[in-house]
Amino acid sequence: MRDDERSDAILSDEELVERARAGDDAALSDLVERHHGAAYRVAFSMLQDDDAAQDVVQDAFIKAFRALGGFRGDSSFRTWVLTIAGNQARGALRKRGRRKETALEDAGPMRSEQKAPDEEAVDAQEAVRARKMLERLPEKQKLSVTLRIEEGLSFKEIGEVIGSSEGAARVNYFHGIRRLRELMQ
Amino acid sequence: MSNATCETVRDWIPEYASGRLAPLEVASVRSHLEDCSECRAELDLAMLILASRAEVPAGLARTVRAAVRSDRAHVHRPWWGIGAAAVAALALGIGMSSDGSEQVESAVPGYAFEIEDGDAWLSDDGLIAGAPDLDALSDEALLQFLDELNVGGAGGGV
Repeated sequence: MRDDERSDAILSDEELVERARAGDDAALSDLVERHHGAAYRVAFSMLQDDDAAQDVVQDAFIKAFRALGGFRGDSSFRTWVLTIAGNQARGALRKRGRRKETALEDAGPMRSEQKAPDEEAVDAQEAVRARKMLERLPEKQKLSVTLRIEEGLSFKEIGEVIGSSEGAARVNYFHGIRRLRELMQ
Repeated sequence: MSNATCETVRDWIPEYASGRLAPLEVASVRSHLEDCSECRAELDLAMLILASRAEVPAGLARTVRAAVRSDRAHVHRPWWGIGAAAVAALALGIGMSSDGSEQVESAVPGYAFEIEDGDAWLSDDGLIAGAPDLDALSDEALLQFLDELNVGGAGGGV
């Protein structure tokens, strides 16, 4: 495919996967571009370490593309690569032996701008506190909240990533939200 | 008060907070929020989480693309390329791994990972294996749990 033909249409993930399977390097690049951010945030939420999270993202995409021939499409490419990233991060945690305690000031790089429909200013200190509390939640609750709010995944997709049913993902999310509200009070 | 229930609004809050909700639903949420302090509190929390979202490092996509390309070039090397590399390695006296593992150098200096036998990075069904806390519960039990979360404590109704 010529570049000018590619720019005419935004391809779906399914189409990009098909093209990447056929050796289309540009399709592969597009898939990385679309999903590396979500994969990084999943890895970072579990590891709380920038370098380790970047390594996990790199490993996850390498493994995903190596296994692309066997990808059946039962789930979306996004949930698939996020699942792999989650597994990689869990493996890194196991190797580390213990979870790194996160200091308040080390709660991760902050977004520089907030795009919200409402004009209420978000208190930066409260945001850091909320993040610190979020990191304290059990892993499935934390991932459910992160994937739902930050990435906009459905409960069905979250269930695929965390290895639970759709109903269990929903419970994990609302339980996590409830606990966060309690912790923030 | 809008017709939207707390349950519906809470399902929509992540999309509303990030500006992904459809205009008609946005109006419904706004109307509901005027009279529901519980849902407003949940929206505030979602906004705080979004505001503290980790920033993706600049250049990560480029690094990942380079690593993937490097890996593919390695994995898809033609048979004559492998043969030539083996001959070259022997000629140079380079030792090769005897345990069958494959060491892959990525495009990032100093970074490598090893593929281990039996490394179950993906379960048979493509999912992460997890603690069987909620997973062992029936749909009925999960619904009951959800009811408790929505009605009691912080999840109180309007």
